[in-house]
Amino acid sequence: MAGLWWELLVLAWKNLWRNRRRTLITLAAMSLTLMLIQVLNNLSMGSYRQMIQSGVRAGSGHLTLNAPGYREQQDIALAFDVTPFWACIEQQPEVQQALPRLYLPGLAQSGYDSRGILLQGIDMTREAGSNPFLKSLSCDHWLRPDVPEDALLGIQLADQLHLKAGNKFVVTLQNSRNELVSELFRVRGVLQTGLQDVDQSLVLVSLERAGLLAALPGKIHELAILLQEQQQVGAVYQQLHEALRDQPGIELLTWQQAMPNLYHAIQLDYASQNAILLIMLVIVVIGIANTLLMSVMERSHEFGLILALGARPFRLVELVVAEALVLGALAAVCGAVLGGLGTWYLWARGIDLRQFISEEIEYGGIVFEPVLRAVWDVPWMAQSALFLVVLSVMASVYPALRAARLTPVAAMRRR
Amino acid sequence: MSGIELQQVSKIYPSGHQQVQALVDLTLSIDDGEFCVLAGPSGSGKTTLLNLIGCLDRATSGTIRLFGQDVATCSARQLADFRLQRIGFVFQSYNLIPVLSAEENVAFPLMLRGVGRDERRRRALELLTVLGLVGLEHRRPADLSGGQQQRVAVARALVGEPSVVLADEPTANLDTGNSVELLEMMHRLNRERGTTFIFSSHDPLVIKQAERVIELQDGRLKADNRRCSAHET
Repeated sequence: MAGLWWELLVLAWKNLWRNRRRTLITLAAMSLTLMLIQVLNNLSMGSYRQMIQSGVRAGSGHLTLNAPGYREQQDIALAFDVTPFWACIEQQPEVQQALPRLYLPGLAQSGYDSRGILLQGIDMTREAGSNPFLKSLSCDHWLRPDVPEDALLGIQLADQLHLKAGNKFVVTLQNSRNELVSELFRVRGVLQTGLQDVDQSLVLVSLERAGLLAALPGKIHELAILLQEQQQVGAVYQQLHEALRDQPGIELLTWQQAMPNLYHAIQLDYASQNAILLIMLVIVVIGIANTLLMSVMERSHEFGLILALGARPFRLVELVVAEALVLGALAAVCGAVLGGLGTWYLWARGIDLRQFISEEIEYGGIVFEPVLRAVWDVPWMAQSALFLVVLSVMASVYPALRAARLTPVAAMRRR
Repeated sequence: MSGIELQQVSKIYPSGHQQVQALVDLTLSIDDGEFCVLAGPSGSGKTTLLNLIGCLDRATSGTIRLFGQDVATCSARQLADFRLQRIGFVFQSYNLIPVLSAEENVAFPLMLRGVGRDERRRRALELLTVLGLVGLEHRRPADLSGGQQQRVAVARALVGEPSVVLADEPTANLDTGNSVELLEMMHRLNRERGTTFIFSSHDPLVIKQAERVIELQDGRLKADNRRCSAHET
């Protein structure tokens, strides 16, 4: 049986090259579509990865530790002491950095004006190499550990309050005991994140200072855990979930749970992209079906002959399907090679959007790099190539059934 | 023994709003090992009769028995198997598969039977040698002359060692020299292997070589003459 199928594949290969031009055109359409699909997907995956990287570093990390209910209620009293969990988290080899943070809404006042702010208490040493918001800031303007009144401001907030480095301003907020407290800070530096909401409201101070102000000494609202690789989220989540299972007063979230807006923005974009890719594939399938149907119609006489020689009708189905299989496999190989070359170019060189857009790009609440780079999504590339072969075989069903319905005498009358 | 028996066989083809009666109440039997020709002018029903005997078409009425089996009771699949195992065809215009070499064309029915590659090759080369086509086995049909193509078609018809070879005007596209050579070769195979040969032809050369001439006219049996082969005399 396997031997006969091999013979059919050889015959199918020969049949495909009867009309060389038609086969090459169909092959080119299939290969280029596969290439386009693979390159677009890999580029999108690169963008998503960049968005997630940027999002998790500036936001809640790949994994987040919170007090239960903090995400929903945003109650500043829902803080927790991270000390008992440090060792457990930092001993995980996949963990690159763990960033403790406090978030305190309040009011900033300068001599000129006042604005609503989000005061964020951070560990400057840990954040410096990880937080993309701090990327534009030189180390001369970092928060100093021995100067508690140092603060970093979003650029628009600084503009609105007419503040520059060295100027003083007052922050007023309600602490965890519902007391109204005020504190004087001095501008150490100004940040430009590219996110309008953040640039209008962000104030970064030291974690210790924020804790004292909020009457939450030694406590934090969030521990953002950054991993070496994004793909490790599931595995590390399982490990930490298991390890922290018996610890009351904390909950572990993935970035998808902690940043649903970003997650849904990516999901929506991915779904619409897949719909476009599916439409492209359907168009290709119609092309394949057309090629095979023309080939069958042209060879009616020969199919009649094969039937006359004693082939069962199903053998013709096998032959047409074998032709589709060979065509699909050939297109899958060519398309994958082209897709690989395209991906390699976009992985190595990328697309520099600065030629087209002068401003920074914000999407789903995230600023991402203006140079789009592809990633190697090899499993998806293999799946899409295999999918093309399957679609090619599916496209052959109708032409194959047409061939099987031929009768020897009627078919041999056709020329 | 009669391997082929036809009883009151008729075949009607629809042609637009009309019907064309290609065969009318034909009763005939052909014994195993016969070398006979269906003679008659164009439209007399020769090809239709060959198609019915070859299980390529079904009779409108009447009974056709091939080696004791009533073909009307067979499914399309059974008829295909019957053709594959018992019948060899030689067509007027060779009908070789253009993408296959001479050897592959000859071996094609064996491939359909699932015979292994080496065995197929051995048997195909053996026949090509018998038919004087040594050295041409790798050529495709387009690179062979008409006579060579027809001999490849004969080899293909014989490779499965069928009980009956049906040849529809096998010399129609050949010159006299090639026709004589082909007929001699078929006659030899008939004698040596006992294969039944049934030709349709109005070529006097073919009719002269036949041991039995079945004459058809307007779908009816006009004459049925047995004689000693001219080839033997």
